[in-house]
Formats: sequence, structure tokens, C-alpha cells
Amino acid sequence: MPAQSSHPVAAVLRGFARYALVAAFAGVFAIFAAIAPSFLSGANLLSVLVNNFTLLAIVAIAMTFAVSAGGIDLSVGTAIDFSSFAFVSLVLAGQPVPLAILGGLAGGILVGLFNALLISGIGISPFLATLGTLFVGRSAQQLLTNGGNPVYLPPSGIPEAFRLLGHGTIAGVPAPLVIAFGIIVVAWLILARTRFGRVNLATGIQASVVRYSGLALPRYTAATYVLVSLIAAVAGLIVTSTVTVYIPSSGNAFLLNAIGATFIGTTLDPNGRPNIPGTVLGVLLLSIVANGLLLSGLNFYWQQVATGLLIFTVLAIGFANRKAGARA
Amino acid sequence: MLVDTSYPPPSLDGFNSPAHAAEGTPKPVHGRSLAAVALRQGSLAVFIGVLVYFSFAAPFFLSIGNIGNVLGQSAIAGVLAIGLTVVIIAGGSNVVTGGIDLSLAANMGLSAAVYASLVQAGYGDGLAVAGALGTGLLIGAVNAAAITLAGIVPLLATLAVMNIVAGLELVLTQNTVVPAATDFLSALSAAGPFGIPVLAFVLLGFTALAAGVVQYTPLGLRLYAVGEFPEAARAAGLRVKLFITGAFLASGLCGGFAGILSVSYLSGSTTGAGDMLLPVVVTALLGSVFSRRLLPTIGGTLLATLFVSFLINGFQLLNISSTLVSGVQGLLILLVVSATTLLQRKGNQ
Repeated sequence: MPAQSSHPVAAVLRGFARYALVAAFAGVFAIFAAIAPSFLSGANLLSVLVNNFTLLAIVAIAMTFAVSAGGIDLSVGTAIDFSSFAFVSLVLAGQPVPLAILGGLAGGILVGLFNALLISGIGISPFLATLGTLFVGRSAQQLLTNGGNPVYLPPSGIPEAFRLLGHGTIAGVPAPLVIAFGIIVVAWLILARTRFGRVNLATGIQASVVRYSGLALPRYTAATYVLVSLIAAVAGLIVTSTVTVYIPSSGNAFLLNAIGATFIGTTLDPNGRPNIPGTVLGVLLLSIVANGLLLSGLNFYWQQVATGLLIFTVLAIGFANRKAGARA
Repeated sequence: MLVDTSYPPPSLDGFNSPAHAAEGTPKPVHGRSLAAVALRQGSLAVFIGVLVYFSFAAPFFLSIGNIGNVLGQSAIAGVLAIGLTVVIIAGGSNVVTGGIDLSLAANMGLSAAVYASLVQAGYGDGLAVAGALGTGLLIGAVNAAAITLAGIVPLLATLAVMNIVAGLELVLTQNTVVPAATDFLSALSAAGPFGIPVLAFVLLGFTALAAGVVQYTPLGLRLYAVGEFPEAARAAGLRVKLFITGAFLASGLCGGFAGILSVSYLSGSTTGAGDMLLPVVVTALLGSVFSRRLLPTIGGTLLATLFVSFLINGFQLLNISSTLVSGVQGLLILLVVSATTLLQRKGNQ
């Protein structure tokens, strides 16, 4: 797709645009290091990774699978919430923590199965199907919690194991970070090395070809949406373990940033495909911007404007570049 | 990326995808239109059935006063949904690559904040109205530029703009309520003839105007052509990008107008405008079942808005928990879209 341009300046510009994300990342990093000296400290960078990066990274990886297959999942927040609700409820009912964790994952998978039924079974477009799931899920949570009351764990009754997911460390590294990196590596291996990953990518590029190749497209699509919800459910477990409370419909807070990170990541790929490294870099960019703006002492409300402008700019450069490549 | 497939997979299509229409042989098309009629009559029947049920269960439901109130309460959501409908018509019904405007609700919030702030600063209603409409138009222009010039898909472009606009609203209001009271605003929120709120008349008038332009003028017909078959529209000499730009400008203007209505309805600008987004998207998408060929239409969107509002109102009158409302909205859209998809699939066989 990126055609060779005869004009060297144009080629240089295109080369720059191709790496708009990397350039934005380096630029943002340099600016924050200059205006907020504490930004570059090890403690701060670790806090960026633990507090801003991990959860969003997990949700964005989940989103990447849906977008890579040519769809989208607006109900990742619902999967987070269902996982969180099942986790808290089971612990509250006195069940052992490992069982509660399995219950939480099952809660997330339930959302994925519902999506799979709508998308593969009935054939509804992913956007509409998962939008419907989002609404039904919101109502279901309000019914389950007497109109949307948070479910707290009494501070005295929290089993030590419950906190491990959010507060524990593995070989000195915070557990959420280890889990997030594990998911990133596994997701990258799945997309790059497995049959499922190849079919997933092919579906996003040309679904009809997958169907004409005799592959069971509905089954692969169903598996994709179950996998999306399963990964989101892990984020639900970690967030619940960190804050020891389930707040109905709180998972939707990740939705827009996850979509943003995934599509920012597509600017890294020459063909504009969603890819795991791009998504991770997109999440890192969003996390660093959030943290750096906080340290810079800029008015809190301007921070949101600045974040929006930055995303907008990266997308504009990335897409304009792709358009230029397609035209040439 | 999502945009570089020339034949989008059926799972990606919204309803009424060009692919379906293109594949259909004459006979299935006939079958499909029969099915469409059945679905349309079915949804109207459900709408009327719900109204009849509520009017028996809650005698107050059918009173002029209550109907007027529901109309008035629907004004803001209705104007936003109509703006979104115009974008969906011009962009095609594929919600990812086609027409969608996620910045509408945030647009309403910022326009309302601009209006209230201008009133607070001592300016008159004329300037405040111009400020709110100008804000909306500007947001529409940014969307249009991002989509037609930079080539960002509408879903992402309007998502990014939504974030910026919501941030600007926070900067302007410092996340507080900005009260605003002027004669114009009170006149707008007062009761008009027959005890029906003025806002109800505004909604009906605005719908009539929008429907007149979109459904009954050559301009509206071309708008549909651009959305359904961009290639054919381009071959026929229509300037596709100009129409898409116009649609986003119109949608931005609707956001500004809804902002004015919300300042009047709430006596100021309040936070949390973003919560309107998903209900408005659902309403605009739901509207197509009320049209003859399952296309998004202005009238259909009005009916869908009223349907949702009457449901909420009926629930309140019957003391049914309002927590069910979002569930009912979700189930409605899933039912409608499932029925449409299954009928189309049957029609194509």
C-alpha cells in the first residue's frame, strides 16, 4: 500500500507520518521530562505503569482482538462489571478466593457468549449487538444491586488472598503489571503465531474470503468475542481486588480510552491494521500523557482537552498518511 | 483497517447494507419488502399496544397534559437524535465506517455551557443564542474537516472531538452548574396553548422542518443517495464530500440547538451531558423500523424518541423501577435489529 514516491521530501514526510505514534511518544516524553523533573524518576515511571497502564492495557488488548476481526466491542465494560460483581459476591458469600476468581471469569464469559449469540448466531453487526449488551447489562446490574448500590467488602472480612491480584508482588514486581505483560505476550503470540490469529486477521481484512475458504467464520467470530470478554474479565478481577468494592457500570470508564488506544495503535502498521505492539504503545502514550499532565500542574480540566487534542493529532497524521499512500 | 475492505463482511453491515440490496434478485426483494412491511407494522403495533396498555393501567397517561409533558421532555433527545439521523443518512448505515457522530451529546453540553456563561457575563439572549449555535456549528465543522480532509473514520474522529469538547465544557464551567434565567428561556420552558409545554411545539416544529428538507426535497434525496451508494452518487456527479460535510454541520447545529433547549429546560447548564450519548444513538438507530423501507428517516426517529419517552413515562406512572428503562432500550434495539437481520437473511435466500 505505501507507494514509493519519486519526491524525496514527500518520502521523508511519509516516513515521519508512519512513525507519528513513536514521534508523539518521544516528544511527549521529552516535554514532560523538561517541565516536571519528578516525571523521569523511577518511582513515578513505575507508578505510571501500575496505576495508569495495566488496566487500560488489558482492556485495550481485548478490544484489539475485536477490532482486528473487523468488529468492535462496546460491552467490554459490561464484562468487567459482571466479572467484578461475581468475584465480590462469591467472596462475600464465604467462598474460597480461587473459586471466586473462576466465578468472576465466568461472569465475563457470560457477556461474551451473549455477544457471540447475537453476532454469530443472529448476524447482528458487532456495534449494534454490543451496544444492546451494554444497555441490557447496565439494567441487569441495577436490578442485581437494588438500583445501583455499590457492593462493599467489610474491611475486617477480606481474605488476604483477595488482595493479592491487586496489591501482591511477584519477584518484587507488582502483580497487576506481571499479569498485564503476560496477557500482552500471550495475545501477541495468539495473533502472530496461531491459526486462530491468522483467521482473526483475515476476517478483518476480507471476511468473505474466510467464508469462501471453507472456514467456519461464525465459530471464529464467536470465539473472538468470548476471548474479548474473558480478557476484560481479568481487568475486572484486578480492579476489584485493588479497590475491594464493586461499583455497578463502572467498567465503562475504560471503553473510550481502549478504543482510542487500539486505533492510535493502527497508525503504527503500514496497512493500518490493529496490532498488539501498536495498542501497547497507544496505551503507554495515553498513560504517560495522563500522568505527565497531572505532574505538570496544568488545570485538571485542561488535561482532558490536551489529551483529546493529542489523540486527535495522532489520528489525523496517521490517517492522512494512509490516505496519501492509498492515492499514490 | 476497517475502511479498506471493498465488500464489508455481512457481520459488519448495519441493516440495509448495499451488499444485501445488490445481491437480491427481483423476487427476494419483493419478499424482503413484505417482511419489511410486516416489521414496520409490527413495531407500530407494539408502540400502539404499549400506549393502549399504559392508558388502561394509568388513566392519567392519555391526558393532554401528560402527553404534552412527554413531548416537552423529549425535545432535547429528539433534536439530538434528528441530528444524528442526518449523519447516518449521509454516511450510510454501517456504524463503524459510515455515519456516526459521537460528539453530539458533548456538543450539547458545551453549547449549553456557552449559552449559560454568556448570560452570566451579562450578554443578551441574542448573542447567547448565536454563541450556542456557533459553538455547535464549529464542532460540526471540526468533525467534517477531520473526516473529509484528514480521512479519519467518523467513529474515531467524532470520538476524539467528543473528548476535546467535553474537556472544554469542564474548563468553561469548572464542572459546576451555571444557572441562567432570562425572559426568553422562561418563555421557552413555559406552558403554551392547551397547557402543552412550548418545548413540545418546538420539537414538533423542528421535526416538521427537518423532515420537510430531508424527506421531501431533491437535496434530501441526494443525501440518501450519498449514504447508500457513494460510488453511484459520485458517478452521477454528486459531490459526496460536500454532502458529508453538510450533514456534520447540520448535526453540529442540532447539538447547539439542543444546548439552548437544555439551558431552558434545566434553567442553566449542568454537567453530565455525555450520558445522553448512548440513548440518543440507540434512538436514532431504532428509528429506521418506523420507516417504510427500514431506512433512517426523520419521522421514524421522532417516533422512536417518543416511544422511549412514553415507556419511561409509563413506567413512572405505574411505579415500575426506572432502572428497567435502559434494559428495555437495550432489548428493544436487539429485538428490532435481530428481526431486521433475520428477515433480510430470509429475503435473500
